[in-house]
Amino acid sequence: MDKKSDAILRKTLKNWVNRQHPPENGRARLLWEAAHTSRSKVDMSVLLFRPSHKTYPLSSTNDWPQTLFTWINENSLQFGIQARLG
Amino acid sequence: MEAVSDSELVISLQAGSLEALGVLYDRHRRLVFRTALAITGDADAAADLLHDVFLRLFRFAAHIDSHRPLEPWLYRMTTNLSYTWVKRRQRWLRPLEDVADWLASTRKDTPSYQAEMDDSWRQVQQAISSLPLSHRGVVVLYYVDDLSLQEISEILDIPVGTVKSRLHYGRQALKQSLGLLAGEILPDLQYEFT
Repeated sequence: MDKKSDAILRKTLKNWVNRQHPPENGRARLLWEAAHTSRSKVDMSVLLFRPSHKTYPLSSTNDWPQTLFTWINENSLQFGIQARLG
Repeated sequence: MEAVSDSELVISLQAGSLEALGVLYDRHRRLVFRTALAITGDADAAADLLHDVFLRLFRFAAHIDSHRPLEPWLYRMTTNLSYTWVKRRQRWLRPLEDVADWLASTRKDTPSYQAEMDDSWRQVQQAISSLPLSHRGVVVLYYVDDLSLQEISEILDIPVGTVKSRLHYGRQALKQSLGLLAGEILPDLQYEFT
């Protein structure tokens, strides 16, 4: 390895990056945002779709629209989502 | 609080201390900024990455081992986020003219001198940007951050032999681009930074 050219390369690259400096307001911006960042574990499970697993009796094959309507309404109401059918 | 060790500050950070975050920021911001700047070549991006790295440090403090040095974590996070930034940018094929804008926004002495200097710095920027991303990271950590081959190996999670190989090819490419092999580099670029 050419030690001299290696040293020149190191100096050149350092001079290049040292021409720029971190922003003056970086600290204040960071602390402001950190103060407004919650680090506590947020319970995201409330956002998960968890349909209840109760069974819907199907007395005949003609009952499936009513069964589907009931299922959608029950689960959408559970999560505050408005179901719009038809 | 200035004399407090990084380890103690990380423990304070884990308890939610914003003061500890501020001290760590003051202590390590140059390290993060120069590394991000050298990899991305974009001062605005480096400023954003600096912010992002320390915000992540705050948010994920609980997962940091306070018994281990903090700097490798900072280097690793900075390098990874910088790589992501560069990859995203490459998708948009940002023209090199933007780099000229970045260089043109720096301090001016006389117009002719600065025009010449900007051309020279643009040459450095282009030489770095032309390196493959994996080589660029190794070159920056070695030449700009003065890290050893072993330290780079641990930070980038690659074998020392790979570090050596990437450094060799990165070095050769840079020297060729900058005219170092023929001794053509402008002496102005080599001044001693104080």
